[in-house]
Amino acid sequence: MSQGYPIKIYKGVEFRRSCLVLGWKEDGGNLGRKVTDYLNRKLKGQEFAEIEPEEFFPLGGVAIRGDLAQFPESKFYACPEHELVVFQSDTPGAEWYKFLNSVLDVAENHCRVKELYIIGAMVSFSAHTTPRELLTVVNSAEMKTILSQYDVARDMDYQTPPGERPTLNSFLLWIARERNIPGVSLWVPIPFYLAAMEDAQAHKKVLSFLNQRLDLKIDLSDLDQEIREQNEQLALARSRFPQIDDYINRLESNLMLSEEENEELIRRIEEFLKEEA
Amino acid sequence: MGIKLYQEPKLENPVLVASWPGIGNIGIIAVDTLRGILEAEEFGEIEPWDFFYPRRVFIRKGVLEYLEFPNSKFFFKKTEGKDLIFFTGEEQPTEGGRMYAEGRKAYHMANLVLDVAEKFKCRRVYTSGAAVALTHHTAKPRVWAVPNSESLIPEIRRYENTVLMSDIEGRRGHGNITGLNGLLLGVAKRRGFEAICLMGEIPVYLQALPLSYPKASKSVLEVLCRSLAIEAPLDKLDELDQKVQQRIEEFYQQIPLEIRGQLDRLKHMTYAQPAEPGPITEEEKKKIMEGVEKFFKKGGGGG
Repeated sequence: MSQGYPIKIYKGVEFRRSCLVLGWKEDGGNLGRKVTDYLNRKLKGQEFAEIEPEEFFPLGGVAIRGDLAQFPESKFYACPEHELVVFQSDTPGAEWYKFLNSVLDVAENHCRVKELYIIGAMVSFSAHTTPRELLTVVNSAEMKTILSQYDVARDMDYQTPPGERPTLNSFLLWIARERNIPGVSLWVPIPFYLAAMEDAQAHKKVLSFLNQRLDLKIDLSDLDQEIREQNEQLALARSRFPQIDDYINRLESNLMLSEEENEELIRRIEEFLKEEA
Repeated sequence: MGIKLYQEPKLENPVLVASWPGIGNIGIIAVDTLRGILEAEEFGEIEPWDFFYPRRVFIRKGVLEYLEFPNSKFFFKKTEGKDLIFFTGEEQPTEGGRMYAEGRKAYHMANLVLDVAEKFKCRRVYTSGAAVALTHHTAKPRVWAVPNSESLIPEIRRYENTVLMSDIEGRRGHGNITGLNGLLLGVAKRRGFEAICLMGEIPVYLQALPLSYPKASKSVLEVLCRSLAIEAPLDKLDELDQKVQQRIEEFYQQIPLEIRGQLDRLKHMTYAQPAEPGPITEEEKKKIMEGVEKFFKKGGGGG
């Protein structure tokens, strides 16, 4: 425990000046989970701490995903050689302020984190053939200057529309600012019909940026293979099903589909990719 | 998680008037209107972080500029009659996706509000909300008053257009007040404050509509002003009410004729002798309720 927060530290870690990369498990296109899993696998991230779930998640039963009973997890991984801390978590359903402060407590007090990178997907109504963009929202002028050296969009204007609420990523970015931790939210627009599946191009977009920015020296060529395979499968779906091809053609021509057509495209792509898998 | 006071005004035995949003926003509109009329001055707030999820984010040119949370603010006004403290909360702190506050956070917020009241030596608290009633939208809403102490009953009996729970047909003095407008009354009792909750009547068929009901807010304010010995022009609420009544009438016309016919009978309900049965029988009331429930179950209340 630390400062009264429900933090469990398994083992001490040593950092001089680290960065924290955070991803949520239930992200669009599986972005948060895939990126954090990938970093842990490639950099041999060692689990060293977690946030206890009882205050933050409804524990009235278990969710089942992919035939398996799940339990909410919020875990920290250390990659000390790269001065990198990875946090992967289910999305909390309550006590968000306390939860997010707990994340930053571990980051600051145990890992000397000096920069924060938050991963998030946003649904896009573009076709998968449109190149992925990396949009950024920062919490300090300092971070904006740093990002000017990278191929990212840095001038987003946004205001939460009526009836909606800010994302947890914005909440965390704001808390980080209050604690003087420079941070950036990394947003990748993901084609809506891939949002419930995976989007290899989006994964690579984020990982390429992190690789460059944090000087991780990871060989990302395996991601190119994943992108190729996914593109081939989607091309196959288009060639087999004229309706899918028509919908995607229209998206490529910047035409909007109706709500029913959107739903049908999602359903048919999901069915096809599942069958192929 | 706590109270932030920007200044400490010198107040003499002030009265606290508090409200949060609820059905028809009756209480919050009443309290906010009075606060505005009296030009009460803001002097503090309850910090929102631990109670609320943010409402809006403002991002400009890629920089997160501002995160907006629901406000929970204190205001004061020195008057010749009584000094007043107002508290208005823009949202009720909820847990587990419920609509109204309950549990640890609600209790904590109620205590924080009363901590400020106590600091300024306030001993009386008013809260305000809605009373869902078998009444018609063309009728003047009554005010249901619930005190937290026996000693307040004679005073309430002197208020015009006001009933106690025991006066309400079929209630036998029982009921409950959901959310913080009710909880504050109970926590006040526990901490030795005298408190009264004033609830304006809203017709049962309007309770689920996303509309305010300023007509009932006005009824509440009339009682509150009298109790506080304050004179305040309430024309602003009449203007607001006219706009809302038009929308209510549009909705009312969408209700199937058979059910509307039943609801029309509520126009003739009188309360000359509130403790005695009105002109509508219990059987008829049951029919009306069944009709309203049936209509809303069919999704007719979405309008």
